[in-house]
Amino acid sequence: MTMTETNPGPAPDSGQTWSRYGATGAATRHATLLAVLVFLGYSLHFLNVDLSRLLGTFSGVWRVVSDRYYPPEIAYVANAGYLGAILDTLQMSFLGGFIGVVCAIPLAWFSAWNVTPSRRILFPLGRLGVISSRAIHETIWTILFVSILGFGMLAGVSALTMFCIGFAGKLFADEIEAVDMGPVEAMRSAGASDLQVFVWAVVPQVRVAFTGIAIYTWDVAFRAATVVGFFGGGGMGWYLKRNIQQLENTKVSAIILSIIAMVLIAEVFSGWVRARVNRAK
Amino acid sequence: MTVLKVRDLRIRYADNQPEILKGISFDVEDSDFMAIIGPSGAGKSTLIRCINRLVEPTSGSIELFGQDVLALKGTALRQLRRNVGMIFQEFNLINRMSVMDNVLSGRLGYTGNLRSLFRAFPQSDISRALALLDRVGLSDHVNKRADELSGGQRQRVGIARALMQQPKLLLLDEPTSALDPKISREVMGLIREIASELRVPALCNIHDVQLAKESCNRIIGLQDGYKKFDGETGTLRDRDLEEIYAMEVL
Ligand SMILES: Nc1ncnc2c1ncn2[C@@H]1O[C@H](COP(=O)(O)OP(=O)(O)O)[C@@H](O)[C@H]1O
Ligand SMILES: [Mg+2]
Repeated sequence: MTMTETNPGPAPDSGQTWSRYGATGAATRHATLLAVLVFLGYSLHFLNVDLSRLLGTFSGVWRVVSDRYYPPEIAYVANAGYLGAILDTLQMSFLGGFIGVVCAIPLAWFSAWNVTPSRRILFPLGRLGVISSRAIHETIWTILFVSILGFGMLAGVSALTMFCIGFAGKLFADEIEAVDMGPVEAMRSAGASDLQVFVWAVVPQVRVAFTGIAIYTWDVAFRAATVVGFFGGGGMGWYLKRNIQQLENTKVSAIILSIIAMVLIAEVFSGWVRARVNRAK
Repeated sequence: MTVLKVRDLRIRYADNQPEILKGISFDVEDSDFMAIIGPSGAGKSTLIRCINRLVEPTSGSIELFGQDVLALKGTALRQLRRNVGMIFQEFNLINRMSVMDNVLSGRLGYTGNLRSLFRAFPQSDISRALALLDRVGLSDHVNKRADELSGGQRQRVGIARALMQQPKLLLLDEPTSALDPKISREVMGLIREIASELRVPALCNIHDVQLAKESCNRIIGLQDGYKKFDGETGTLRDRDLEEIYAMEVL
């Protein structure tokens, strides 16, 4: 007995066709791709990039670095004043990160559609808070706060706080919106208030992720703190700016190296802590 | 006495979507343990979730303990909800909390925000929780994390949590569908027993007709958003079942 005799299924070629995207879908996709390519070409043309000059700059950069910035004046970054500035930058990032994260939690709660205490009022306000903190770059926050509060750490911490609210708020809200709604409904059906629902049904589900995000936020805030310092917030960035203005090139290179080293240490440390926190899940 | 009166209940989840409940009316008496049967997708969960307003009906009326449920807002709605215990198919426990905390969470509707923030429940709640855990057979598991328990044990936590509310009505959404047949009958038996001990009426979604016949005194049959049967368990005929399950390929 062969299969062909017993199996009345469709013939191998049924004559039917199938396409993943409909005709209009395919047309839109191709048109979009074309538009992107055309714009890319136009932008390159507009920049008027000269390939030989571009290659020439590399050797130029190398010459400048080796002539003027080498050797870095390591002794300068090892003195007490500069070490104090490193500490300032650390403190700034801690404070900004801490206050930012603390403010970001309620904002994230308000701006998470699934558990927001009020969809009509607090949801849009929460979203607006998070989005506007993100929309303004940390350098612009610094310039704003420096013009209000004057130069120094207070302006720097304020700018970093705004930066961290935007950064952590968005990540927190995404995390809240991804929770299992089962416990949320259970608490609601028991007559719990919105705050109780958040504390009892949401927080236990996001606690570990929030801890990881908070550490990550500090790490990113530390990096931002050097830039914030440059624009008047105090700390390492402030030293960088002063030495650039005074054309102390070997000191500048030492400072840049120290920033790279500190950021690397912060990143490795934060990665290590986050890995441990995640294991505690 | 009638505890729940539902009249011409209709709901669609979004304006451009079809109606899920198409004019459902029924009553629940204070002595009822009532089953809602029907194929999956019939609207059983939707119906039961309208009653404590986890979802908002589009039109119709619901009267519970003499109150117009659909008119309630804010605190009044929460006070109504705490009188209605709910047990879920997927248990809906807080996995990372202890069994005890899960049971105590059933008390949140009676607890102030500040107290609940610090999990500072009054002694009376704590002794009630321990007594209920004893009643559902979990005395040895009080301090375990909820996710360390088996399915049957988890649903027992769910039962204890619902009873913490001192409910005047129980809503059960397929409480045993996630359990295997033997455990399923044990858990259903326990719910049945406790409901009659405490004289709490119950409204229970069940997919399994046999289980519904064994445990409930009245049955409502739903199909595609319409009520196709409503009567004492004894009056359910095979012909009715055929009609209710007509759409399901058996
Ligand atoms: N939140 C929701 N949004 C949109 N449609 C839903 C939602 N919940 C249920 N439905 C739809 O309502 C219908 C009935 O679902 P449900 O009440 O869960 O039925 P049952 O519990 O009888 O299986 C299904 O077609 C389902 O897809
Ligand atoms: Mg269901």
